[in-house]
Amino acid sequence: MIQQQLREKAKELLSNKTVDLIIGFGEWTLPLRTTPVFIRTPEGAESLVWNSFCENNLTAYLHKFSRLKIGLVVKGCDARSVVALNLEKRFPNHPPLLIGIPCQRLVDRKKVKKAVKGEILQAVEQGDLLLVKGEDVNVTLKREDFLYSVCQVCTHRTPHQAHILIGDPVEEVSPVEAHPDVVALEGMFPEERWNFFEKETSRCIRCYACREACPMCYCAECFVDSSRPRWIEKSFSPSDLAFYHIVRAYHQTGRCSGCGACERACPMDIRLTYLTQKLNQEVKDLYGFETGIQPEAAPPLSTFDPEDKQEFIK
Amino acid sequence: MKLKLNKKDVENFLKGLIEEYDLYAPAQLTEGVSVFKKIDRPEEVNLTQPVTQKPAKEAFFPQSEVMFRYEETGNRGQAVSTEQIRKERILLGARPCDIEAISIIGKVFEAEDYTDVYFAEKRKRTTIIGLGCNHPLSTCFCSSTGGGPFNRAGSDLFFTDLGEAYFVELLTEKGMAFRENKFFKEADPKDLDLMKEIENKASQKVDRTIPVEGIEKRLDLMVESPFWDRIHEKCIGCGVCTFLCPTCHCFDMTDEAVNQKGQRVRNWDSCLFPIYSLETSGHNPRPTGRERTRQRLMHKFNYYPKNFGRVACVGCGRCILYCPVQFDIREALVYASAKRGKGQKGKFK
Amino acid sequence: MENESVTTWEPKILAFLCNWCSYAGADLAGTSRVQYSPNIRVIRVPCSGRINPLFILKALQSGVDGVLVSGCHPGDCHYISGNYAGRRKSATLKRFLEFLGIEQGRIQFSWVSAAEGVKFSRVVDEVTKDIKKLGPLKKFFKR
Repeated sequence: MIQQQLREKAKELLSNKTVDLIIGFGEWTLPLRTTPVFIRTPEGAESLVWNSFCENNLTAYLHKFSRLKIGLVVKGCDARSVVALNLEKRFPNHPPLLIGIPCQRLVDRKKVKKAVKGEILQAVEQGDLLLVKGEDVNVTLKREDFLYSVCQVCTHRTPHQAHILIGDPVEEVSPVEAHPDVVALEGMFPEERWNFFEKETSRCIRCYACREACPMCYCAECFVDSSRPRWIEKSFSPSDLAFYHIVRAYHQTGRCSGCGACERACPMDIRLTYLTQKLNQEVKDLYGFETGIQPEAAPPLSTFDPEDKQEFIK
Repeated sequence: MKLKLNKKDVENFLKGLIEEYDLYAPAQLTEGVSVFKKIDRPEEVNLTQPVTQKPAKEAFFPQSEVMFRYEETGNRGQAVSTEQIRKERILLGARPCDIEAISIIGKVFEAEDYTDVYFAEKRKRTTIIGLGCNHPLSTCFCSSTGGGPFNRAGSDLFFTDLGEAYFVELLTEKGMAFRENKFFKEADPKDLDLMKEIENKASQKVDRTIPVEGIEKRLDLMVESPFWDRIHEKCIGCGVCTFLCPTCHCFDMTDEAVNQKGQRVRNWDSCLFPIYSLETSGHNPRPTGRERTRQRLMHKFNYYPKNFGRVACVGCGRCILYCPVQFDIREALVYASAKRGKGQKGKFK
Repeated sequence: MENESVTTWEPKILAFLCNWCSYAGADLAGTSRVQYSPNIRVIRVPCSGRINPLFILKALQSGVDGVLVSGCHPGDCHYISGNYAGRRKSATLKRFLEFLGIEQGRIQFSWVSAAEGVKFSRVVDEVTKDIKKLGPLKKFFKR
């Protein structure tokens, strides 16, 4: 239904030349996945899909196509990334036209893979169920049990910022208040927290997929690539890996929409979203700011209030 | 000679290997994430994942390798040490695609006029125990690139998982040295039959239809093709496909020095990173994803075959499985080899 | 770092002092012959707002046991609002690093004006005492 409406809308936008290019999701070879598609003709709109596997944050592509009028298919989190980028004046020529779809939350393919023995060959959604087919298994899973952790805590699923909304807004509820990893870690000693962090980051292969998948990582030169000054070395000391991940996450302070694209992109399953989720919590607590909610509010680290909390300063 | 290794003996077999050799094998870092690493305890070895995240090339060409260290003494500098291989080494549980890939890298690193001693020395002193793929994945296309799930080329010994035991084949002189290993038992004829059955079944599963034959010639005509304008669009420019590729072998060398001491390190590098080709002047001959994606495919399917006579892809499917945006190298290959009439540009979705 | 035995170990603390207030405060402490712990190494920066969080991380990675950042009091910034901007960076970075597992107290912040030589010496003594209690930094720094 939504998929059909989306295709029709896309067709219309391309026919009347409102946009040059529509970036959306399309069917692809692997089950539990979709792929970004780039559509330039009205006929091409037929390849657009919408399901629980539309996991990429397509906002990241806006940097690549800055000279075109773009129609961008967005979920709640993606739309908030666009707002955050807009605040950073990333769209001086053509702000993208947002085609928003209220999000039913995404299915975590890694969780599904762990629950099914052998290779998954097909996965189909049916209402609240997920029918998964393997070489010699057929399993029915409850969609609800296999959501991404960031989607579980999301309370901004409807992209109200979108210019066109396809489908009805969804109820914004979250069964849990804070990211489960953040809660678990907050109950630990500093040593344990550091060990957890170091164990996760020790798997890093420095492919920078987390950085590239993130719409907010658009620095012309990333600090890891800088040779003057050389902030960190390119070899694999645990300290350098930790350094990269601290700075990658911290640089998102007050900018992260919590879409979780970084963690999904990681081929080594490094848990990354708990870092940015924690930062989002802090920013909300300290400055009452949530990324992408107020379209006019300045990003928290590029502004100040003389009355900001300062009990930590001697 | 037909041998087998019972599963109940595997732990002791591994223990023996660890005592006598430096053992490299797949180990799970966290659920569902395996890499090849040096093994200290038998229980670390995990042979169940059909395709590990990082390939076996790491046993010969580590992601980060210290080439030598140096320090300043008095007022002159000197190199103080290089890494020495003390023990003979074993690579266990590498799949046929990964083993094939090692010989592909070898053609570059062991070329007569420029031999890379770090790689060559390790390879010379390593015995490779291959492991057949009983359950190739849907992303595997090794049979299309000249291999197969039970391709024994490059293995010194070859294991096939029979369920209760591994069927063991000794294939080379290095492999024959294991003839007397006390855990290897005489195999029954029915084990051999079972092995053949498994091999046949697996071989049938693997996609043979991906066209790589003569691809270098077709790519010669495609250097300025509009194909490249489209294919790179969804690539976000991370290094997943190149770092996880068993045949990619680009590296970058850096000096890491603090005060009077330092080391020269070589790390994997990726042609998909903008700084890979960035020149000191600030000019970048591969300024956009278009040129970088083209470089990746051209190196594998044009430059390498022209130099060494085969494509630099073994069909392991890692770049398809782990790509954050589902770039599928198979689709690119199919597209590149599709027949198109003159003036017809063809569409790439 | 060299192997220092516990009994003789003294923390190394890096202090980023703003040019206009805290650095002058430190100067005043010196010219007034006020004593304070000799554990700090000072880097003078134009403004506490100029502190890039990378500086703090790089310092910890390079082997200092603690970092002190000090600038002008709110309202006194030579550049009007640099210290306000810096305050937000400081607050978020401090909370984030503590969440990761860097102990509370490794990174400290203060306002010290050019007239507060005595306060400067007190701050340095307190910070040194805190970090002595924590012991050498065992994580994150590069061996």
